[in-house]
Amino acid sequence: MSDLDPKLTVSGLNRRTLLAASASMVGGGMLQLSPLLRSGAFAGQQLNLTIIQPHAVAGEVLKKLFQDQAGVTLNFTVIPYDQVHAQATLDVQSGANHFDVHDYWYASIGALVDDKVVVDVTDWIERDKAQIHPEDFIPSIYDAYTRVNSRRWGLPYDGDSHVLFYNTEILKRHGLEAPATWDAYYQAVKTITEKEKGGGIYGTALLGFKVPVIIVSSYANRLAGFGGRFLKDGRPDLLSEESIAAAEELVRVAPYALPTPSETAFDQALPAFLSGKVAFLEFWTDLGVRAQDPQNSKIVNLWDVSQLPVGGKNKTPVAALDAGFGWAISSGSNKKELAWEFVRWASSGEVGLKLLTTYNSGIDPTRSSTLNAPEYKSFAPKVQRAAAAAFGSALVWPTVAQTPKLLDSLTEQLALILAGQSKPKQALEAVQRAWERELV
Amino acid sequence: MNSSKAALQVDLAKSRGGLDQSRLVVAWLMLLPLLLGLLIFAIYPSIYVLGLSFTKSTLGQPFKAYLGLRNYHWLAFGGDDIFVPSLLRAAIFSICVSLVELGLGLWLAVLLASMQRLSRLVRSILLLPLMTPPVLVGTAWKLLLAPGGGLVNGKLLSLGIVDAPISFLGTQPWALLSLMVADAWQWTPFVAILAYAALRQVPDDVVEAALLDGANATAIFWKIQLPMTAPLLLAIFMLRLIMAFKTFDLLYILTFGGPGASTDMAGFAVWRTALRNFDVGTAAAETVLFAAFVSLALLPLLWLHRRVERIAS
Repeated sequence: MSDLDPKLTVSGLNRRTLLAASASMVGGGMLQLSPLLRSGAFAGQQLNLTIIQPHAVAGEVLKKLFQDQAGVTLNFTVIPYDQVHAQATLDVQSGANHFDVHDYWYASIGALVDDKVVVDVTDWIERDKAQIHPEDFIPSIYDAYTRVNSRRWGLPYDGDSHVLFYNTEILKRHGLEAPATWDAYYQAVKTITEKEKGGGIYGTALLGFKVPVIIVSSYANRLAGFGGRFLKDGRPDLLSEESIAAAEELVRVAPYALPTPSETAFDQALPAFLSGKVAFLEFWTDLGVRAQDPQNSKIVNLWDVSQLPVGGKNKTPVAALDAGFGWAISSGSNKKELAWEFVRWASSGEVGLKLLTTYNSGIDPTRSSTLNAPEYKSFAPKVQRAAAAAFGSALVWPTVAQTPKLLDSLTEQLALILAGQSKPKQALEAVQRAWERELV
Repeated sequence: MNSSKAALQVDLAKSRGGLDQSRLVVAWLMLLPLLLGLLIFAIYPSIYVLGLSFTKSTLGQPFKAYLGLRNYHWLAFGGDDIFVPSLLRAAIFSICVSLVELGLGLWLAVLLASMQRLSRLVRSILLLPLMTPPVLVGTAWKLLLAPGGGLVNGKLLSLGIVDAPISFLGTQPWALLSLMVADAWQWTPFVAILAYAALRQVPDDVVEAALLDGANATAIFWKIQLPMTAPLLLAIFMLRLIMAFKTFDLLYILTFGGPGASTDMAGFAVWRTALRNFDVGTAAAETVLFAAFVSLALLPLLWLHRRVERIAS
């Protein structure tokens, strides 16, 4: 697998690379640079990468660090998160081969592998495991993000999971506490909306816009809470008691949510929560950092966070791995060795911690060491507690080659449920049929 | 004498034949760029799409496996319950907006034609919505129609017409109506400008003669201008109908096909299948069905156009 370039060895040093290396040594801490990178062997080179919009700030940090320390320029192309797959595929399929590294959504990894868009990095991981410390990756994240057909195709760097944020001031007004069950959540939302709707305050902002990463996340949160699964032994499991209960729970709370769930995406939900107009919001853990930023938030110190509620027979909170990103090397890249050096560096614990403790980086922990790092604990204490508790058990989205189609049919039917055009059971039967067509 | 005349005639015929042949060669040479253009930009892509529609193809791996008519069967008779309704929805949307835009556009054109002053300025202003990028049109309407803080809901609330904000883009039938309103806002000026150009084709002396005979403006419009411009207006209607069938940008920004599937139309469904599901084979089959459906929908209009043209001439 490994196609190491013999030219890229320490013996190939020239004056320029030596200078770059010494400059980087003098500069601040050498964040997990490999000996090869530290030697300056790649200094002066460039890498082209895709990066999703919410990670734009993280991209800037990485660019500066990598330039300073390895002398390599990172050219990021910022694209919408749902278009990485298309961009990556078209880049390889067209023969343009512009990109070297992709910031991929973990659920798309099976499809990227099936389309031969990313390269197998199993052997490189094995070779460099002493530096990578694979055992440090949070177990529920590592396999889900990187493993397809018993091989690994990337490394995680943003471990996204939803937790339940709430406005402590609103809850206090109504004598409420963070709900432990979805039923308690529904009752709290209903109470708040009924009493404060006139003043423009609602119990929750229910993310119901018809895009997989939005509406399926809302469903997955409930599915995780009820103890359900998307797939059971590789077969669709959408007609289980838990799956149907999760869909019914989604419909039940919709009338009391910020108008209107079908229209509610990030640009409606976030301002509503950060301006104190809604009491609850299921969102990714990095919202905690934004909520404490006075420039973005009117609820500084007026919020808290808990694990997602549970429902039905399930009594143990389960995190839903909604979104989550890794770095993968494009099969069209002709700088695979450098690309690998970047992937290894960018997914390391030290770089991860740097991103975790940067405002608006959009990055959440993927490693146990960063999740439990004192720096992260003091930077985002509430979120750290919720995240640490959440990652123990997790609901993983499908990561098979057919995932885009699976998520699309689920998205369509969930949208019909929320719009009142279909009943939960009837809609999930349609999803089950569509998934069986793809998988069985 | 006769034989030399005959020989001359043969020579003439030969040279004419040679001339005809060389003219034919020149004609073909002159046609060649057009033929090449058609081959590269129309025929090859059409054959490619048709070929894809019979296969299992993804974005990364086109022509993975031959499926025969299975993609078509799945869309028309199989488990897919999205594409056929989206075709019908596209038809309803297109016919409604094209009719409304033709009516409004014609009304504006008549007003423009009757204006003595400022006609040129008004025409320039009319072009503004056309020059606005569709994404911006969508964003502007999204902000206008937002339930919280949107201008429309704000006005309705302040005037006491409603006691709670209306979710224009998140509920039925408002979502489809909102799309129609935004589309009409964007495209009515286009129709108005074309209709104005059509009205200008009516000879002034015919209108002046009618005026001398005591006809009023209404009579002139119904009895002279409308009959004389009917073929052109019908052509404008067809043009808008085809464009409206392909509406994508407004849909993408405003509703994303929702709520539920209320505004999911064929062009959007094709995009979703190809670039969100990466099922390029099925998307190609949808494209072929979509093209066939639009062509069928246009057949009666083409017949009507020929008939109106004959009557008008």
